Amino acid sequence: MKNTFWKALGVLLLLYVFSMTLLVPLGPGLLEFQDKGKVQHSDIVGRSLPVYEVIGFGTHWDENSDSLGIFVKSKGQLAALEIFEITDETHALVGLDLPYSIPSKSWNVLVNHPIDGTLLLENALFLSDRFVDASIELPTPAVQEFGSNLPFHFPYQPQIVETIRNLMLHVPLWFTMFLLMGIGFVASIGQLSNNRNMEADMRAFASVRVGMWFGVLGLATGSFWARFTWGAWWVDDPQLNGALVTVLVYAGYLVLRNAVDDERLRARLAAVYNLFAFVILVILLMVLPRFSESLHPGKGGNPGFNSYDLDDALRMVFYPAVIGWMLLGTWMYLLTLRMTRINRKLDLLP
Amino acid sequence: MPNNAWTQFRFLTTHAFRVEFRQKHGIAGLFLFALASVYACYQVAGGRASAEIWNALAWVVLMFSAFNAVAKPWAEDSPELRSYLKTTLRPGIWILARMAYYVLIMSLLALLVFFAFALFLGTEHLGGSRSWSFLLGLEFTAVAFASLLTLLSAISSRAGAGFSLTAVLGLPLIIPIILISTRYGSEILSGVIFGDTAHHLLFLAGLTGGIATLGYILFPYLWRD
Repeated sequence: MKNTFWKALGVLLLLYVFSMTLLVPLGPGLLEFQDKGKVQHSDIVGRSLPVYEVIGFGTHWDENSDSLGIFVKSKGQLAALEIFEITDETHALVGLDLPYSIPSKSWNVLVNHPIDGTLLLENALFLSDRFVDASIELPTPAVQEFGSNLPFHFPYQPQIVETIRNLMLHVPLWFTMFLLMGIGFVASIGQLSNNRNMEADMRAFASVRVGMWFGVLGLATGSFWARFTWGAWWVDDPQLNGALVTVLVYAGYLVLRNAVDDERLRARLAAVYNLFAFVILVILLMVLPRFSESLHPGKGGNPGFNSYDLDDALRMVFYPAVIGWMLLGTWMYLLTLRMTRINRKLDLLP
Repeated sequence: MPNNAWTQFRFLTTHAFRVEFRQKHGIAGLFLFALASVYACYQVAGGRASAEIWNALAWVVLMFSAFNAVAKPWAEDSPELRSYLKTTLRPGIWILARMAYYVLIMSLLALLVFFAFALFLGTEHLGGSRSWSFLLGLEFTAVAFASLLTLLSAISSRAGAGFSLTAVLGLPLIIPIILISTRYGSEILSGVIFGDTAHHLLFLAGLTGGIATLGYILFPYLWRD
């Protein structure tokens, strides 16, 4: 019972994680603020205004459309946009009414709605042909603020959008790989301190073999993520290079094991190489990327996650995912270890 | 064999060179290989190379020369001689001496590669102090290659698998060094001043120190039976 409890827990956690990952909807966000290149007459101000199109993602603008408010904001100053037409739940045409003298050329777009809450698109509007006067004060429009009124959802992030679900695969897979390689590291130290017993060697071998799977899957999920967020299957980046080299170094460990026939010599050589490989893993994946510029989040002097990357909804799935993958990895490791022991016993039979 | 670590180290290093110069074809072959590679690069690049190609080819030639240098089998790797040496000297000192030997050989090779590149592929990218900065980078890289490949060739010769295993184990581990070096080289050749890109050399030095320390700690385990 004690032996099956944590395995069942791991599987249940992963079932929970997979269902949440696939079923929880993504929250609303703003995709684009486009200049339509035409003007339209406004009955309210009595002039023609340049027309822009706001494109949302997963928004509900066709419901309660009277309460929809669209604003631009710069240097703490707000200006309301006139809504000409709400095409559907994610598209709206607006007219921009700003004076010739403005406090800044670069503006954020804010959309306020009773269901979606307040959505922000940073630096969405750049007015290059206006006069900048920092002292100018625009009239403050009446704003009716709404909190969001949505069921449980993952946060919308620009660029990442739906691929945020990959967070539950990619990151825990790497964490599990670190855990398994750590087990291998400890086992290799044990093997070097006592080379008469082959137990520690089998532990190191089993952990690296399972860890390799997690490393390869981590690379694959990372590659997919890179394709959708950065636009290429592979980019030249310190974190990615480090990950690939680490996996290749551990592949070298498996090659080295195959090259030696004598069991004790193999155990010792493999242990020496494994200690070396783990030091390389720590340097390449945890130390070097922090000193260099990288596209990968959590790098460039900022270790790990910060509050912008991970909100409460993600945490509710991400932490169980880490624990679940680690339990599954440990289970796979124990099975592989048992298989290795049996194979060795079979080899030793006359 | 004296018991003092420094005396042992000095003796082993000079001994390695003495053996090398007694049969000169080994070291001559190394230099010839490097020179021939540079000449092949000169032909491949079609006489003159842009700064990027100059940089890339220089590091690749240095890398293959390094692999070629450690491919030599050592008499001390034979089981008989090893079991004798085990009783007389410390294995940690022995690997450090072997590293020192390869560091010297590789420094000379780096010098040769540099001057051969300047001769064949032109010096227009190497104005003023840039050439010294680039040569310094080559030397730091050569030292890092030498220390890493010494350890790996010791592992693979102990495994009895010969040179192909050194290449399999070494190539992935060489990649980080090559990445740092090429970045340094391209920055030097594109005119970045030395002070702004010298941190790459610090990384290389740190890596070399780490590899040497690991070798010193781990090598005794390789020598046991």
